[in-house]
Amino acid sequence: MAAAGPSVFLLMVNGQVESAQFPEYDDLYCKYCFVYGQDWAPTALPLASVSRADGGAGAEEGPRTVTRTEERRQHGDKARPWGWRQALAFPGLEEGISQITSKSQDVRRALVWNFPIDVTFKSTNPYGWPQIVLSVYGPDVFGNDVVRGYGAVHVPFSPGRHKRTVPMFVPESTSKLQKFTSWFMGRRPEYTDPKVVAQGEGREVTRVRSQGFVTLLFNVVTKDMRKLGYDTGPPDTQGASGPSPQQGLPP
Amino acid sequence: MNPKEEKVKIITEEFIENDKDAGVGRQKKTPKVARQKRKKRLPTTGPEEMVPENLHFNQQGPVPEDSDTRPLSMTSRRGPRSLPPIPSASRTGFAEFSMRERMREKLQAARSKAESTLLQEIPTPRPRRLQSPSEKEMETEFGTEADEEVQRTQKEDDSQSYSRVKFCDSVRKIKPKPVVPPGFPSAEEAYNFFTFNFDPEPEESEEKPKAKNRDGMNQEEEEGEEEEPPVQEHKMDEEELLSAKDDEDFLLGLDHAAEDFVVVRPADYESVHVRLQMEKELLFVPSRLTVPTYKKLPENVQPRFLEDEGLYAGARPEVPRACQNIMENRLLTQEPGRKWFGDDGKILALPNPTKGFPSRPPVLTREQDIKAELETLYKKAVKYVHRSQHMIGSGDPSGNFQLDIDISGLIFTHHPCFSREHVLAAKLAQLYDQYLARHQRNKAKFLTDKLQALRNAVQTELNPAKPHKSLDTTQKAINEYKSEIRQTRKLRDAEQEKDRTLLKTIIKVWKEMKSLREFQRFTNTPLKLVLRKEKVDQKTDEEAYEAEIQAEISELLEELMEEYERKMEGYRASYQQWKAWKKAQRAKKKKKKQAVEEHPDEEMEEPYPGEEPVKPVPPEPTDRALVEQQVRERAAWSRRRPGEPTLVPELSLAGSVTPNEQCPRAEVLRREDVKRRSIYLKVIFNDKEVSRTDSRPLGADFRVHFGQIFNLQIFNWPESLTLQVYETIGHSGTTLLAEVFLPIPETTIVTGRAPIEEVEFSSNQHVTLDHEGVGSGVPFSFEADGSNQLILMTSGKVSNGVAWAIGENGIPLIPPLSQQNIGFRSALKRADAISSIGTSGLTDLKKLAKWAAESKLDPNDPNNAPLMQLISVATSGESYVPDFFRLEQLQQEFNFVSDEELNRSKRFRLLCLRSQEVPEFRNYKQIPAYDREIMEKVFQDYEKRLRDRNVIETKDHIDTHRAIVAKYLQQVRESVINRFLIAKHHFLLSDLIVEEEVPNISSEGSGILGLSLFKLAEQKRPLRPRRKGRKKVTAQNLSDGDIKVLVNIIRAYDIPVRKPTASKFQQPSRSSRTFSEKRAASPTTHSPTHSTDYPLGQVLVRPFVEVSFQRTICHTTTAEGPNPSWNEELELPFRAPNGDYSTTSLQSVRDDVFINIFDEVLNDVLEDDRERGRGIHTHIERHWLGSVKIPFSTIYFQAKIDGTFKIDIPPVLLGYSKERNLIIERSFDSVRSLSEGSYITLFITIEPQLVPGESVREKFDSQEDEKLLQATAKFQTECALKFPHRQCLTTVTDISGKTVFVTRYLKPLNPPRELLDACPNSPQAMEELVARYVSLIPFLPDTVSFAGICDMWSTSDQFLDLLAGDEEEHAVLLCNYFLSLGKKAWLMMGSAIPEGPTAYVLTREQSHYLIWNPCTGHFYGQFDTFCPLKSVGCLIGPDNIWFNIQRYDSPLRINFDVTKPKLWKSFFSRSLPYPGLSSVQPEELIYQRTDKAAAAELQDRIEKILKEKIMDWRPRHLTRWNRYCTSALRHFLPVLERNQGEDIEDDHRAELLKQLGDYRFSGFPLHMPYSELKPLIEAVYSTGVHNIDVPNVEFALAVYIHPYPKNVLSVWIYVASLIRNR
Repeated sequence: MAAAGPSVFLLMVNGQVESAQFPEYDDLYCKYCFVYGQDWAPTALPLASVSRADGGAGAEEGPRTVTRTEERRQHGDKARPWGWRQALAFPGLEEGISQITSKSQDVRRALVWNFPIDVTFKSTNPYGWPQIVLSVYGPDVFGNDVVRGYGAVHVPFSPGRHKRTVPMFVPESTSKLQKFTSWFMGRRPEYTDPKVVAQGEGREVTRVRSQGFVTLLFNVVTKDMRKLGYDTGPPDTQGASGPSPQQGLPP
Repeated sequence: MNPKEEKVKIITEEFIENDKDAGVGRQKKTPKVARQKRKKRLPTTGPEEMVPENLHFNQQGPVPEDSDTRPLSMTSRRGPRSLPPIPSASRTGFAEFSMRERMREKLQAARSKAESTLLQEIPTPRPRRLQSPSEKEMETEFGTEADEEVQRTQKEDDSQSYSRVKFCDSVRKIKPKPVVPPGFPSAEEAYNFFTFNFDPEPEESEEKPKAKNRDGMNQEEEEGEEEEPPVQEHKMDEEELLSAKDDEDFLLGLDHAAEDFVVVRPADYESVHVRLQMEKELLFVPSRLTVPTYKKLPENVQPRFLEDEGLYAGARPEVPRACQNIMENRLLTQEPGRKWFGDDGKILALPNPTKGFPSRPPVLTREQDIKAELETLYKKAVKYVHRSQHMIGSGDPSGNFQLDIDISGLIFTHHPCFSREHVLAAKLAQLYDQYLARHQRNKAKFLTDKLQALRNAVQTELNPAKPHKSLDTTQKAINEYKSEIRQTRKLRDAEQEKDRTLLKTIIKVWKEMKSLREFQRFTNTPLKLVLRKEKVDQKTDEEAYEAEIQAEISELLEELMEEYERKMEGYRASYQQWKAWKKAQRAKKKKKKQAVEEHPDEEMEEPYPGEEPVKPVPPEPTDRALVEQQVRERAAWSRRRPGEPTLVPELSLAGSVTPNEQCPRAEVLRREDVKRRSIYLKVIFNDKEVSRTDSRPLGADFRVHFGQIFNLQIFNWPESLTLQVYETIGHSGTTLLAEVFLPIPETTIVTGRAPIEEVEFSSNQHVTLDHEGVGSGVPFSFEADGSNQLILMTSGKVSNGVAWAIGENGIPLIPPLSQQNIGFRSALKRADAISSIGTSGLTDLKKLAKWAAESKLDPNDPNNAPLMQLISVATSGESYVPDFFRLEQLQQEFNFVSDEELNRSKRFRLLCLRSQEVPEFRNYKQIPAYDREIMEKVFQDYEKRLRDRNVIETKDHIDTHRAIVAKYLQQVRESVINRFLIAKHHFLLSDLIVEEEVPNISSEGSGILGLSLFKLAEQKRPLRPRRKGRKKVTAQNLSDGDIKVLVNIIRAYDIPVRKPTASKFQQPSRSSRTFSEKRAASPTTHSPTHSTDYPLGQVLVRPFVEVSFQRTICHTTTAEGPNPSWNEELELPFRAPNGDYSTTSLQSVRDDVFINIFDEVLNDVLEDDRERGRGIHTHIERHWLGSVKIPFSTIYFQAKIDGTFKIDIPPVLLGYSKERNLIIERSFDSVRSLSEGSYITLFITIEPQLVPGESVREKFDSQEDEKLLQATAKFQTECALKFPHRQCLTTVTDISGKTVFVTRYLKPLNPPRELLDACPNSPQAMEELVARYVSLIPFLPDTVSFAGICDMWSTSDQFLDLLAGDEEEHAVLLCNYFLSLGKKAWLMMGSAIPEGPTAYVLTREQSHYLIWNPCTGHFYGQFDTFCPLKSVGCLIGPDNIWFNIQRYDSPLRINFDVTKPKLWKSFFSRSLPYPGLSSVQPEELIYQRTDKAAAAELQDRIEKILKEKIMDWRPRHLTRWNRYCTSALRHFLPVLERNQGEDIEDDHRAELLKQLGDYRFSGFPLHMPYSELKPLIEAVYSTGVHNIDVPNVEFALAVYIHPYPKNVLSVWIYVASLIRNR
C-alpha cells in the first residue's frame, strides 16, 4: 500500500494573528480555533501523544468550546496560561487564547497580538478545508468581558505566504430593550459556539454588526497534494511580502 | 492645405470628441458644412438646419441648443456682473467699511471699464496668446461680433495647452497681488484682508457665466470652465494692476507715512508673450492633429488590416482620439523608427484585457482609508445602455449605425372615397402597368426569336453540306431541337395570347370608363387612353405571317408523320404476332378437325383489330388542310392579323376633371370628403415608433407625396421595420389604415444606391359612405340593376427606399458582421446564442452550429473557442441529436467519467452517503483518498439494512411476532427520524445566539431587575467563588473520550448477608429455621439466632459495587457488612454510536448503566491445614447479589440522578439471606423495614453536562375542537405560571402524529380472562396479577425509539400489539384495567427516580390511596418513604384533569382528594363543562392465547444460546454443565413464576441440597419480561457468573418462559455455579 503513494496529503499552516483594527475598543484579546471537515484531522505531534496519555488532567480543563465569556474568564483566572496548556494538550496550536493587548500610541492605533498559529492537518479530501475562526473579546465600560468580534477565513489554498484581513462582526440584540439590558449587564449576545461563523447554516436568523478587522499571516506548506491529484495552483512566487519557499513537490 | 481650412477642421474634430452625442449627427457633414451651419445658426435657425436636427431622433442625451438662447442670456447675465459683491462687506469690520467700500468702488469701476472694453471688440487677452497667422484672416472673414467670439473661443481651445501652462503661473501671481495695495495699519487687518479672499471669489463666480456665454458657441461647457479661469486670471491681473494703481494713488493721497516704511514696487511681471516664447523653445508640445497614415507606415506600404484578412484582432482599448494623436505625434518626433506602429498604421496595442464588469466584489483592505470609501461621490447620471441581446453598441466604440428610410409617397389603389370611375381608373392604371411591364420584357418577341433560331439550327443540321457529323448524333440533335421547337412554340402562343387579351381588357376597361363618364356626365379622373396605331407593311407582314403558318404546318405535319410511323411500327408488330397465333390456331384445328365452319368466323374476328391501323396510312393530303385550318384559326385568335396595325395603348393624365360646379351633389360631397382626409406614416422600428411623416392631405388622385428621408440611428439590430399608414378625417381621430412591412436592406444597399420600391398594402377596413364614394369592403356594382357586384378593400402602395447610410468617410454605417437578418454580432456571448435560437437550441447542436455559421462567429476569437470546439465536435461525424429535453444540457461536459464509473467508485459512494446523512456513514471520518483503500465491508451493513428493510428477520428475534413488531417500530422510527432530521436544519435564534432574557419584573425569583441590578455591585472576581451551575455543552463538537459518566456510589442498605450454609458448616437444621423466620418476617425472633450464629466481628458480607457501561467495568473497593458505605466515584468513558455526538444520536443511545453488587468471598484454597501458618492461599469468588439498571437516556435527560434506589435482588439468592441487624440500628431502621429489599444511594451524572435535545418544534395538527385546544393552552400556561416545574399534561401526540386530548385515553378496558379467573376470590391478588401482567410488557422508552421527539402515546390495543411502550402506555393500560375492575383510578403524572417525569397510577382503596408503578408492578402506600414517585404534577381521570396546586408536591404530603378545588385545579369546571369526549381506546381488548408450543421452543432456544454465550465468555476455561442441577432448576422455575418470585428460597434450597449433595453452590434466578434476546444476554453477562475461574467449577442454567395472553412472556433464567466440596 505504501508503495502506491501517499494516501493523505498534509497541510501545514503557521503564521500569526498579527494585529487588529478595532476603532472603538481597547484592551482586547483574541481566541482562535480551526473548523474543518470530517476528512480532516490535525496530525499529532509527538508531544500530543504524551498529553493524551495523561488525559485525566485535562479533563476538568477540557471543554474546547466555551460558550459564555463569564465561564471562559473564570477559566482564564484559574489557569492564566490557558493558551500554552492548550498547546501542549493538542497537536500543534489548534486553538489558543492570546494575551490582552492595548492600542498602540501612534496614529495607527493598532492592536498587536503577534499570536502564533502553528498546526498541521492531514486529509484525504479537500472538502471541508480548514477555516480559522477568530473571536475577539475585551472589557466593556463596566469591566465585563464581552465579545468584540467574530470572524472566519479559510486557510489559504496555495502554498506560500499569505496575508488575510478578516472583517469582524458581533451578533446584534433582538430588541432595543435587550440591547440596553445586555449593555447594562455586560451580557452581550454571543454565538453559542464561535464555530457558527464558519458555517452557513442557520445564519439567516441572526443580525450582526461590523466591528473591525483582524489581520492574519499564514505560511502554508502542502505535501502530496499534487500526488493525490489536487492542483492548488502555482505558488505565489512573486509575492512581494516575503520569500516564499519553493513548493516542495516531489517530481 | 489652406491654414484656415485646417484650423476649422481641428475645431470640428474637437467638437466631435467633446460632445459625442451631438457630434454623431454632424459627423457625416463635411467640415465646411459644419462651419457654415454654425455661422447660420447664430442669427436664426434655418429650416434646412432644422430637418437634420429632427432626424436625430435616436439621439439620447440633451443636445446643447444654446445657439438661439445665447444672445438673450448674454444680456441677462450681464446684469449681475455690475452688482457690488456683498459677502466681503458683511465680514469686514465696520470701521474700515467705508474705506474698503470706496476701494471696491474703484475696483469695480476699473473692472467694468475693462469688461466693457473687452466686450467691445477689444480682445484684451489676445495679444497674450500665441498669435497664429490665421487669426488675421479670420478677423477679416468674420464680420460680426458674435462670430468673432466664436473664433476666439476656438482659439482658446487651440491654445488650451498653453493656457494651462500659464495657469499655474497666474495662480501663483494672484497670491502676491493683494500685497500691492499697502498701508493698512494692523497686522490683523492685513491678515483678514488676505485670508478673507473677498475679491477672487465673487470674481470667479461672476466670470463663470461669462465663460459659459462664450462657450455656448462651442457647446462644451466643461472645456470652457476649465480653460476660462486662466484667461480670466490674466485679465484680472491686468485689472488688479490697474485698480492697484488707482488704489495707490488713493492711498498716497490719504497717507504718505505708509510709503515711508514700505517700498512699493510693481510686481515682477514677465510678459506672457516672452514666457510663451521661451517655453516654446524649451518645451516640446506634440500636436494633437491626426497623423496621416502614410507617415506612420514605411514608404509605399499600404496599411494592412488583419481583420480584413480574417485574422482575429481583439478590440483595442479605448483611448481618446486626442491622446492617441498626441502620442502618435510624439512617437513620430521622438523615435522616428516607426517601431511603435503596426501594419495598420495604428499604435500597437494588445486587445483590451479588461472586462466591462467586475467579476469579484471589492475586498476591503485595511490600507485604504475607510473614510475615503464611505465618502459619497457625486457622479453624473450615466445613460442607461440597453443591453438587450441584439445590442450592437456593446464593446464597439463606434456603435452608431444609421438606416436611411426614404418615404417618397403613397398611392391608393383603392380607397373608400373612390368613385366608380376611380375604381375603373385604378383598374385601368393597373392593367396599363401590367402592359408596360409585359411590354418591357416582351417575352413573345423573345420566344419568337428563339423559335426562329431553333428552326435555323434544324435547317443547318439537315443540310447535307456538313456531312462530317455522324448520322445518329445529328439525328439526335435534330430530335432535340424539334422537341424544343414544339415547346417554345407553345410558350410563344400562350404569351402572344396573353398579350392580346391584356390589350383587349385595357380597351374594354377604357370603354367602360368612357361610358361611365358619359353616363354620369362628369369626369373624375384625368386618365386618358390613347391607342396608337402603328402602320405595318401589308405585304411583308402577310408574307411573314404566311411563312410562319407554313412553317408551323410543316412542323405539325412532320410531327403527325412521326406519330404515324410509330403507329405503323406497332401495327406491324401486332400483325406479325397475330399471324403466328393464326398459324398455331390452324394447326390446332387440323388436328382436331372440328367446327370447320366456325373458322372463317374466327378469322374474320381475329385480324380485325390488327387490320384497322393499316387504314390511316395515307391521310396526308386530307389532313394537311385540316392542320392548316387549325393553325390558321389559332393564329387568328392569338395573333395580330396580317396587315392589321399594331395597337400601342398609351395612358396619359391629359384629361380634364370636371370642376365641382358642374358635378352632382353626391360627387361634390365625395370630393369634399377626400379633401378633408390627410395621411401620415409612422415609422416603427423594432416595434417602437421612431418617427412619423408630416401629415399630408389626400390628393384628388389619391396620391400622397411625402418625400421625406428618415435617418434612423440605431443601436439595436433591426428586427422589423414597419410603416403604419394613418388617415385623419377632418379633425376627428386618426385611424390606422394599414401596416406596411419593409424588408431590412442588405448590407450592399447603401444610400444613393437604393432603388425606390413600391410595397403594397391593404387593409380589411369596412367603410360605407353616404356619397359617391364606393366605400371599402362593401359591395357595389357598375350596372344599373346592381348585378355583377364587386367588393374592394382599401389598398395601396408605398414607394420607399431603405438603405444604410454612409458615414463621413465613406464607410457605410452598417452593424458589422450582421448581414443576415437572423445573424447577430460576432462576439455574442452564450446568453445571446440562447436568445437567438432559444434555450432549447443549445441542446440541439445542429441549430447551434447553424446559428454560429449564420452569425459568422469569428472562429479565431478566443472568446468563442469553446463554442467553436463544441460545434466542431457536434458537426463532425455523427452528430448526436437527442430527442429529449435536458435540464442541464452541459452536464455532460462536466462529467469527467461516465455515470457507471462514478457509481462504481466506492469513494464517491461513501461521500454521497455521508452527505445524505445515512446513519452508518454520518460520522465517517477520513474517507480514504483512493478507492482501493476502501474496504468492501464498509458497505456491508448498510446494504444489508437496505436489503432487510422489507424482509422480516427471524434470526435475531426468536419470536416471529416480536420480529414483526420490531420491524414496524424500526420503520416508524426511521420515518420519525427523517422528519426530525429535516426539522434539525431549521434554526432558531436561540440555537445560534446566547442572549440574556429580558429580566421579567413581574415574576418572582432572580429575574427581578432590581435583584440583577444588585448583582452588579457584587465583586467581579470574588476571592471565594461560589458554586455555580455547570456549563452545558452542546453535543455537536464532541469527540470520543470527551464524555464521561460519573457514578458516585455512596452507600447501600440491607445487603443480603451470607448464610452459614449447610454445605459449609454442615448445619442443615438452620436452613429450615431461617426459612420459617423469614416467612414470619419477625425481626425480634430473628436477631438472637444471628447473634449466636455469628461471632461478633465476623464478616457477614463483603460487598463491592461494580458498574458496567458499554462493556467498561469499574468497581469500588470492598466494604464490609450489610450496610456498607463506599463513597467512591467511578468514571466510565462514553462512546457514542458511530462516533456521532449529535443530540439525536445521543438520545438514541440504548445502553444501560448496570450497577451490580457483589459479595467478595474469600475461599481458602489450602489443601493442607498444616501449611496454614505459613502462607495465605485464598481464592476470591464474587457472588452476585443484585443490580440496579439505569438507562443512559435517563441520565442524559435528567443530567444527574441522585437518590436511593431499590436494588433488584433476585427472589432467590442461594446462600444469602436478608439480615435484619436491628440490634444495632433499630431506631432508624424501623421506618425502612416497612418495605423489604435492599437499597443503594447513588449519584450519577455526565461530565460535561450535555444539553439534552429539545423536542421538535413542530406543531402537530389535531382533530380536537379548536375551543378545547385553546382551553388547553390557557390551562397549561396558567399552571406553568404558578408551578413551572410541575408536570401538566392536557394533550398528547398519538402514534400518527396528531394531538389528542389526554382523557380520551382513559376508559375501562377488560383485563385478560385468565388473569381474572386465576384468583377470583381475592380482588387484591387479582389487582397484583393484573399489575404484574402489565409490567411484563417490555419497556421501551419513547425517547429511544423516537429520538428527540415528544412523547407519543399509543392506545392500549396498539400497545399490546407492539408489546413495547414506556411509562405512559403501561400506566394507561393499568389504569384502564383498574377502572374496569371497578376501582377508582387515576393516571398520575409526576416525577420519580430514576425515571424522571413519568406516569404512575393512583388507586383509591377504602381508606387509603395506593400508588402503582406500572412498569414494575409494585405498589406503594401513600406514605411509603421508599416510593420512587417523588412529586405529583397532575391527575388524569377519564373525564377530567386536576392540576396539583398544593404547596407541596411530594405524595407523602399532599391530599389526593380531587374534589377540593383549593387543592386541585380542574380542567373542566362549571365554566367549561366536560363535553363528553369519545375515547380513542377500543371497545374492548381481544386477547389471543399464546401458543404454548412456541413458547416452549423459544425457551429451549434461549437456553441453548445462553449456554453458548457463557462458554464464549470463558474462552480460557473449560465450561462444564451440571445436568442434575440444571434439571432441578428447571423444575423449580415454574414454581417461582407461580409465586411471583417470593418466599420460596429455603424450600428450594433444601431441595437442591438433597439432589446435589456436597456442592458449594451460588446462583440466582433472573426474571425479565421478554422483548428480545439481547437484554437477556446482557443481564446474564452483568451478573458475572461466568467469571468464576475455579478449575473444577460446574454451571447450571435453566430457562423458563411462562406465556401470558397476547404473547406477553415472562422469562426466568436460573444461573448457578457449583463447586464440589472436598
